[in-house]
Amino acid sequence: MPVLAASGIIKTVGAGRAARRVLDGVNLEVDAGEVVAVLGRSGSGKSTLLHLLGGLDRPDAGRIVLAGEELTGRRPGALARVRLRHIGFVFQSFHLIEELSGEENVLLPARLPGARRGGERRARRLIDSLGLAEIAGRRPHELSGGEQQRVAIARALVGDPELVLADEPTGNLDQDNGATVLGLLRELGDRAVVIVTHEPEAAAIADRVLRLEDGRLREDADEAMALRESA
Amino acid sequence: MLTAALVVSDGLGRGFDRAAGAADLPDAIVRFDPEPAGQVAARIAALPDLAAFSLRREFTGVELDAPGHTSENAAVEIIGPGRRGYAIVAGRDLSGRPGEVLVERGLAAAWGMPLGGRIELDGSSPQRVVGFTESPDNVSYPLAGPRVYVAQVGVSVPPGVNLAEIWLRDPHRLDEVLVQARATSYGVHGLRFVTRAGVRVLLDQAAGIVIDLLVALSLIALLTAAVMLAASARAEVQRRLQAIGLRRAVGASRSYLTATQGLEALIVAAPAATIGLIAGTLATYGPTSRLLMMLNEPAPGAALALPLAAAWMAAVAIPVTSAAWPAWRAAGRAPVALLRGAELAAARSRRRASPIRAGLTVLGARLAGARRARLVATATALGSSTGFVLLMLALASALVSLETDPGALGKRYQLTAQLPPAAVGQVRAIPGVQAAAPRYADEAVDSFSLQETIDVIAYPGDHTEFEAPPLLGGSRIARPDEAEVGAGLADALGLVPGSTLAIQLASGGELRLRVAGVVGSLDHDGRVAYVPARALLARDPSASEQLVVRVRPGADLTRVTAALGATAAPAAGATARGVPLVDTLRAILRAVAIVDGLVCLYALIQTCALTVQERRRTLSVIRAVGAGTPAITRLLAGAALALVAPAAAIGIALERWLLGPALARLAAGYATLSLGAGAGAIAAVLAGLVVAATVAVLWVARRAGRESVVSGLAAP
Repeated sequence: MPVLAASGIIKTVGAGRAARRVLDGVNLEVDAGEVVAVLGRSGSGKSTLLHLLGGLDRPDAGRIVLAGEELTGRRPGALARVRLRHIGFVFQSFHLIEELSGEENVLLPARLPGARRGGERRARRLIDSLGLAEIAGRRPHELSGGEQQRVAIARALVGDPELVLADEPTGNLDQDNGATVLGLLRELGDRAVVIVTHEPEAAAIADRVLRLEDGRLREDADEAMALRESA
Repeated sequence: MLTAALVVSDGLGRGFDRAAGAADLPDAIVRFDPEPAGQVAARIAALPDLAAFSLRREFTGVELDAPGHTSENAAVEIIGPGRRGYAIVAGRDLSGRPGEVLVERGLAAAWGMPLGGRIELDGSSPQRVVGFTESPDNVSYPLAGPRVYVAQVGVSVPPGVNLAEIWLRDPHRLDEVLVQARATSYGVHGLRFVTRAGVRVLLDQAAGIVIDLLVALSLIALLTAAVMLAASARAEVQRRLQAIGLRRAVGASRSYLTATQGLEALIVAAPAATIGLIAGTLATYGPTSRLLMMLNEPAPGAALALPLAAAWMAAVAIPVTSAAWPAWRAAGRAPVALLRGAELAAARSRRRASPIRAGLTVLGARLAGARRARLVATATALGSSTGFVLLMLALASALVSLETDPGALGKRYQLTAQLPPAAVGQVRAIPGVQAAAPRYADEAVDSFSLQETIDVIAYPGDHTEFEAPPLLGGSRIARPDEAEVGAGLADALGLVPGSTLAIQLASGGELRLRVAGVVGSLDHDGRVAYVPARALLARDPSASEQLVVRVRPGADLTRVTAALGATAAPAAGATARGVPLVDTLRAILRAVAIVDGLVCLYALIQTCALTVQERRRTLSVIRAVGAGTPAITRLLAGAALALVAPAAAIGIALERWLLGPALARLAAGYATLSLGAGAGAIAAVLAGLVVAATVAVLWVARRAGRESVVSGLAAP
């Protein structure tokens, strides 16, 4: 059974004459241990799709099932619980909280009501394994972009989620740091990973590459192969 | 809050002048034992600088009957020709026809007496009420006995007059006129003066405290509003930075953008200020008018229009300025920076991470603390409000204590009985009685200059066994020619230990005693003198007497009262005669405390709302990683706690060490009045703060939970 299954997703943004259907019947399944990259040009609806898959927004139509739980139609509180226990987010601009140290940022989801047990232990392990021990006590503005994104990945993983959603995870990083972050996302074991990006390097680490065009997802095995080879 | 302060301050601060002007209040009112009118007129006419005078006969202790009401201590003034010294506030003045009376407005209101109604004086034929009066030379019914004016025509009264009203050409020369009057008053007994200036000073003393309190509270409310509005406007401008940058990029001028922002604030502030103005006026106008009626002063009425208009303009100017200023600053930046959504005045903290592990509550506190200057200003404003609420609770508690607890006045007896001194032995034998003694009391005036009466109290032995006001200086009475004086009297007459106290008793006899000590007494504003009983009775054998009884601890007061007989009564507190005044003061304090509480609630809601508004992206990130409304509630509780905890500490410290002692000195410099808030009051105020914070947190958290996470993540 796939970790994530989305079918017939429709989403319109804007209103009146400015209304635009950015997702028009999207279908997607992601298995455990699989990394899926979604490519598309700016404004094609990649981030919108990611928000819908992560329960941050609601589709106009369609179904999303995550780890056997139906997301569509759930109340905001229930969606928050699903995000806490099953999903980890990695954002392009890191979104670390300035008032918290790196370690506290990592621990934040583990300290939310309803979090899985063992969060503190997992946080220590992640901080060590991601090479953050030296800088864990520093505030975000004292860290480099790569360090911030590694902290953000640790935060995404601290709840031991089945699904990691990464929105342009290397968009604000230089090439070296970008490669490090992509390497980390590739090595997440049996977790399902969805990366939305417009960078070929990011898509090159994926098992599958999907292109979002005209509101629909299209799988292109040749393109995936070409990207991997070029990388 | 501003409106409430204006209504009360204007009413109390200028009420006397309005009333005195409307009533044509005389510069001096002189009371004396009845004398032939011609003889008194001749002496007054010889006074220097005299503008006018009128003579009257005043009767006190008159029985007054009206439908459903009766009083046995009415004062009736028989009005002759000449100036009146009262204002007609409804109906008309006496026409000279028999059977007409005027009554005080306070009495008419208290008894529900209509114009044209009938009253009877000492069982005479019914008289028709033709008008209501107001004269601020004395407080009104029910604080004082009812006062009625009757035309001289058709009234059969004994010959002679006992009251003169005097108007001077130059009121500043009153002192020398009074000296002259005393010098030429030989043969005139029971002479007592009330001056317009003296009445004003007394009223100003009392009103001054209330006005000072309200002005301070208004300033706090204004400070809170200014801080919150400025912060809110800053957050709004921050949100619109890109739009401002865009408009700058297409050519909009800095002043145009500032004016636009100011205009938007005006559109919101104008109706809000109007609503606040109406609400503040409605909350305080009624209680203030009732208080003024008791003081025989008119309600401010249309005179309030100008100050209220100024208050409205101030209430509008603050938000408009608060909105325009950050817009002006933002519009001064380079459009490119604005288009990138650059922080308006970003200054990242250089502090190291705190050693305290951050849960949601600590994070909330840190978010609130990120704007340190605002947090300090808001905590100070909230703390000041808390301090004032505590002060009002302490004041209300002190009022109740003074009203009901004789111990608060230093009285060590619980019961009084109208029994002769000879009955002391029998009273002491009653089971439950610990001690009993005769207490003599007399009313006196100072032989030199004080226009207020002095309460003279005497015991055969050591008075401190039954009344022990704290000794502030000197020593207790040790010899038969010594006296202890209250600090109020000592202040008025410049008395110190070793001075001579010279007072004229009601009998006309003069008592001269050496001042042994000064005591802090709340009774009669400290204008009291404790003298040996033998000295008092030698000059005035008719001084009133009663027995005072101290009951053993644990004894049944009801049984002792019953054993003492029908004349037994509980010992009175200081304000027992002024219960309506105390009630009105309480109503005003309550109204102000409610407004003050709303200021606290507003500050807390705004703090939470601003945290949400300014940290929209942070909250969205927290929600994205799985926080629901309960988690956001905990975070906001931390923000509220960062404000409430220091505010509570500031409030308690402010009340305990600054406001309480300062108000106690203002209210009764002549006595020791404890206005420190007790544990109960502090607990109540802390509970109130917690409730207000809970309401603010729940409300804002609920609203924050409805915000879109996605749009929050995209926020600048």
